[in-house]
Amino acid sequence: MNTPNWTTTVAWLVRDTFRQSLASGVCWLLLATSAISTLVCLSVTVEGQSPLAAPGENPEFLPRGDRDAADPKYAAKEGVAIVSGNVKLGFGSISVPLARDAKSAVCNLELLFAGGVADTLGLLLTLVWTAGFLPQFLDRRHISVLLTKPAPRWCLLAGKYIGVLSFVLVHALLFVGGTWLALGLKTGVWYLSYWWCVPLLVLHFAIFFGFSLLLAVTTRSTVVCVFGSILFWFVCWGMNFGRHTLVLSQQLAPDATFSSSLTWLAEAGYWILPKPADFSFLLFDALDAQGYFRQQFDLQALRDAGFFSLELSVLTSLAFTAYLFAASARQFAQTDY
Amino acid sequence: MATDQIAAEFQQVWKIYPCGLWPRRSVQALRGVNLTIPTGSIYGLIGPNRAGKTTLMKLLLSIVHPSRGMVKRLGAPVTDRSTLAQIGYVHDSQAFPTYLTARSLLEYYGALSGVCSVARRLAIAARLDEVGLSDRSSEPIATYSKGMLQRLALAQALINDPELLVLDEPAEGMDLLARQLLHDVLTERHQQGRTAILVSHSLADIQRVCDHVAVLKYGEVAFAGRMDELLGREHNGSADLEEILKPIYASTEPYMNTAP
Repeated sequence: MNTPNWTTTVAWLVRDTFRQSLASGVCWLLLATSAISTLVCLSVTVEGQSPLAAPGENPEFLPRGDRDAADPKYAAKEGVAIVSGNVKLGFGSISVPLARDAKSAVCNLELLFAGGVADTLGLLLTLVWTAGFLPQFLDRRHISVLLTKPAPRWCLLAGKYIGVLSFVLVHALLFVGGTWLALGLKTGVWYLSYWWCVPLLVLHFAIFFGFSLLLAVTTRSTVVCVFGSILFWFVCWGMNFGRHTLVLSQQLAPDATFSSSLTWLAEAGYWILPKPADFSFLLFDALDAQGYFRQQFDLQALRDAGFFSLELSVLTSLAFTAYLFAASARQFAQTDY
Repeated sequence: MATDQIAAEFQQVWKIYPCGLWPRRSVQALRGVNLTIPTGSIYGLIGPNRAGKTTLMKLLLSIVHPSRGMVKRLGAPVTDRSTLAQIGYVHDSQAFPTYLTARSLLEYYGALSGVCSVARRLAIAARLDEVGLSDRSSEPIATYSKGMLQRLALAQALINDPELLVLDEPAEGMDLLARQLLHDVLTERHQQGRTAILVSHSLADIQRVCDHVAVLKYGEVAFAGRMDELLGREHNGSADLEEILKPIYASTEPYMNTAP
């Protein structure tokens, strides 16, 4: 008899997680979400697809409502283009005038899908739908037999955690791949940066599922995992958003006085806790959306003042996740079942 | 007794469970247990409710941790998890993943026990046949009755052909045929020189298959030794284990403390 190595154990637990997701219906729920989103993308058409500027040229344009745009001769003389065309949704049932050109319209839609559907709503729903996986796995009547297998306890926990992350990765690939392909086919705009959403979504999920893992190991309750992880996401989001607001307020109004304890608390909370709002900014950056849309915060101002570093933000979020996993593994190793 | 002749060993083992949130109390499940289980024996573990039988087995299987004392499994401390590859375990309230079939469950648990894929395939067929589940092996476990689940639990415990088999109330929900199957498995393993520990409230089962027995009471060993020793010494050779155990179960003090 050989003791199985940890990779074998993890591989079997990943396989078990996929079977669990099929049986629980979570797999079908996520597939349905991806299918509906892809269908929405297939219903999109963009009219007036020509770019407003040649490559390398300054993309100057006049909005269609501009007074000067009423005189095409004037615009032609000044060398600027006038926005025209529409983006149609729902197989032509909804028509929205283009704000700029086809690329900006596709970027807008992809930002909506990546940031709104997947990174916020999708993330929270996936956290809720997968919250029961670990408490079910850690049920005393089930886990007691698995604990008599030679794999170390941390390995069992890692296998299940990686299993859920692999499951989310597969669905993130399906979601991004489906919507990217559909939008590309329908509009002719193939926006490769959109694929950055996949690792970002999985990373974002990994952080908050890490908290769910700790709750599952401590309480073995699905209800606690659901509400605890969602509440934690909101707390982190609030802390992240609040800290940036505070720092920018200090920048904008240097004479204003802020309580030092409040500033200290915001800084400590920001650097210790995961940073979901920063992940949204990262997604914004990854999609090159700053060329088309205004960001919630003037991140450049924060960066220039030395208050924001994307790399540090991601690294500290990952460090917190590593801590969550270590704490969960320690708790799991010490628990009597 | 030489180390290789000892399948399991408990030395001054205490297990104290914390209990309640406030006020915080503690419950002594085991109180200085000394017990040696010889290799090749079919060892019965009996005692009244809350005697500490299941806790003792869970300590042996690294499911719970001792508060004090030393536990050895197949000659190694229980912290050495590699010996778990040679262990099989059945308990009375199994909850297998209901989305699996019997075949996929045995494949999964066999792989986690370190059984290689070729041996696993052969073992799955043999064990399913042995416990009489071959014809239902492709059905989801959710459709199984309690008795079928216990049969599956037995097959799962035997998938790695273990050196030490631990059965904690395995006959719960089993019909007559399944009970006979359990006895046959234990007898066969005894003949092969393998060790089995049987925890049960069914004294008839214990008396029928076990050659050694330990009686636990209030977390202490009240008797440990050969079955014939208990039967012969205590009741003039009478074969009625129930009659012998009545005074032990009824007394408030540990009956006797002996180590084999």
